[in-house]
Amino acid sequence: MQGERGRGIALCIITGASRGFGRTVAKELSLRVKPGSAFVLVARSESELQTLRAELAESDAGRAGLEVRYVATDLGLTEGLEKVTKAVQEAASELIEHVLLVNNAGKSPVFTEMAEVNSYLSFNVSSVLCLTARILQAFPQRPGLRRTIVNISSLCALKPFPSWVLYCAGKAARDMIFKVLAEEQPDLRVLSYAPGPLDTDMQLEARSKSGDATLRKSFNEMFTRGQLVSCEESCNKLTKLLMEDSYTSGAHIDFYDI
Amino acid sequence: MCDASTKDLGRCLCVITGASKGFGRSLAQQMPCVLQTGSVMLLVARTARLLQELKAELDTHVLLVHCVEADLGTAEGVNKTVEVAKKENVNDFDHVLLINNAGSLGAISQFSSFTDLAEVNAYISFNISSALALTAGLLQAFPQRPGLRRTVVNMSSVLAHQPLPLWVLYSTAKAARDMMFKVLAKEEPNVKVLNYSPGPVDTEMQREIFQQTGVSRELLPCQKPGAKLLKLLLDSDFCSGTHLDFLDL
Repeated sequence: MQGERGRGIALCIITGASRGFGRTVAKELSLRVKPGSAFVLVARSESELQTLRAELAESDAGRAGLEVRYVATDLGLTEGLEKVTKAVQEAASELIEHVLLVNNAGKSPVFTEMAEVNSYLSFNVSSVLCLTARILQAFPQRPGLRRTIVNISSLCALKPFPSWVLYCAGKAARDMIFKVLAEEQPDLRVLSYAPGPLDTDMQLEARSKSGDATLRKSFNEMFTRGQLVSCEESCNKLTKLLMEDSYTSGAHIDFYDI
Repeated sequence: MCDASTKDLGRCLCVITGASKGFGRSLAQQMPCVLQTGSVMLLVARTARLLQELKAELDTHVLLVHCVEADLGTAEGVNKTVEVAKKENVNDFDHVLLINNAGSLGAISQFSSFTDLAEVNAYISFNISSALALTAGLLQAFPQRPGLRRTVVNMSSVLAHQPLPLWVLYSTAKAARDMMFKVLAKEEPNVKVLNYSPGPVDTEMQREIFQQTGVSRELLPCQKPGAKLLKLLLDSDFCSGTHLDFLDL
C-alpha cells in the first residue's frame, strides 16, 4: 500500500463539488495529496464553491500548499466544458504525477418531454464523455504520469427502478462509457463507484418526490431507520479503492461490495 | 407471400420508426402478413419519398398505411408522430405495437475525440431521447384499457452489454435504451417490452461500419431476424423487459 501521502503530486478535478458526496471527496482527497498538488472544483453554485475553497485554504493541506481553483458553471453547456478545460490547463504543471478526474456531478430528473430529457442527458451523460475526453487530450499518456478516471455510479446503473427511467438510463450509459474507455486505453485506471444510498440532498428529493409510491416508502424507511450511508463512510471506501489501486479497470464496484 | 397460419397480431396500430431503409423497411414489408384487416401502420422516417415508395409496395387491402415524415432527433418530429397516431380511434384496435427501430451509427473513433458536446448531444437526442419521448407519448395517447394489448420493441444490439474500443457513442446509447425499456417493463406490467438484437444485418449501417472501420463481416439478410422478431411477437411468451439476440435464438 502507498504511504500516508497517497498519490503524490496530484491534479484532482472534481465535479459536483459544492455539496453532498463531491464535497466530501474534495475534503478527503485534500488529506491524501502532496504539497504542490492542485484541485479544480466544479459546480453550479459559486457561493458554495467559495466556501469550500476557503475551508480547504484554512486546512492543514491548504497551509501546506494545496492550490484550489473553482469553476462555477453548468457542465451541460459547451461554455461550461470550455471553462473547466481552461482552468485545468492553468492548474497543470510538469510536476504533476497523477491526474484524477472524479465525475460526480449528477441530477435527479423529473420529465419525459424531449427538451427536458435532452437537457438531463446533456448534463449527466454527454458532459461526462466530453469532459473526460478533453482531460485525456490535455494530459496524454507519458512516463511518470498516472491517470485515473472515476465515475460516480449507482445501483441504478445495473438495476431498473420504477419511475426512475432517466436516472437509470443515464447511469447505465455512464457505466458503458467508462467500460469502453477502460477497454480502449489499458494504461488508464478507470473506476465506476456506486457510493450506496447517501444522506444528501439528492436522497431528500428521492424520498419526497419519486413518482412511485412503493419506492418513496422504501426511501423513507431507509432514512428513518438510519440505513442511509454517510458521505464520509462512503468516501473512505472510495479512497481505499483508489489507494490500493488493485481494482480491475472499468469495473463497477458498489459501496456494499467492499 | 404470407403463409396460411391463423396466428396474427390482431387489429393493430403498428408504428415503425426508421422505416425507409434497412431493417425497418424489411419489417414493414413483412408486417402486413401478421396484421388483421382494419390494422393501421405508421411508417416514420425523414425521407418522405422513400416512405411513399415503400407504401406503394405494400398490400393495402389488409391495412391502411400512413407515411410520417419526421426527424425523430427533434421534439417536433416526435410530437408530429404522436399527433398522427392520435388521429386514429383507439377503439378500432386491440393492439398497439411500437417498434423503436430508428437509429444511427455515429462516429466510431477514439474516446478522446469526443470533445464536442453539441455532436454528442445530437447523437443522444436521436438515439436515446427520441425513443423515450416517443414511447412515453404513444403510451400516454393509448392508455391501458380492457381488450387492448400494448407492445414496445427496442432495436438493441450485442453492444448494449459489450464494451468495444472506439464504439463509445453507439454502445452508450444502446446501453441506455436497454435500461430505459427495462424500467418501462417494471413500471408498466401491462405493456409487453422487448429489447431485440437482430444480429449483423445487411443494411446501409453495416456499409457505414465498413467505411469507418475497414472491418467486414458476414451479414444476415434482414428477412431472417425480421421473421424471428415477428414470431416472438406472435408467440408473446418472452419475459417483458428481456434482451433477446437473434444469434442466440
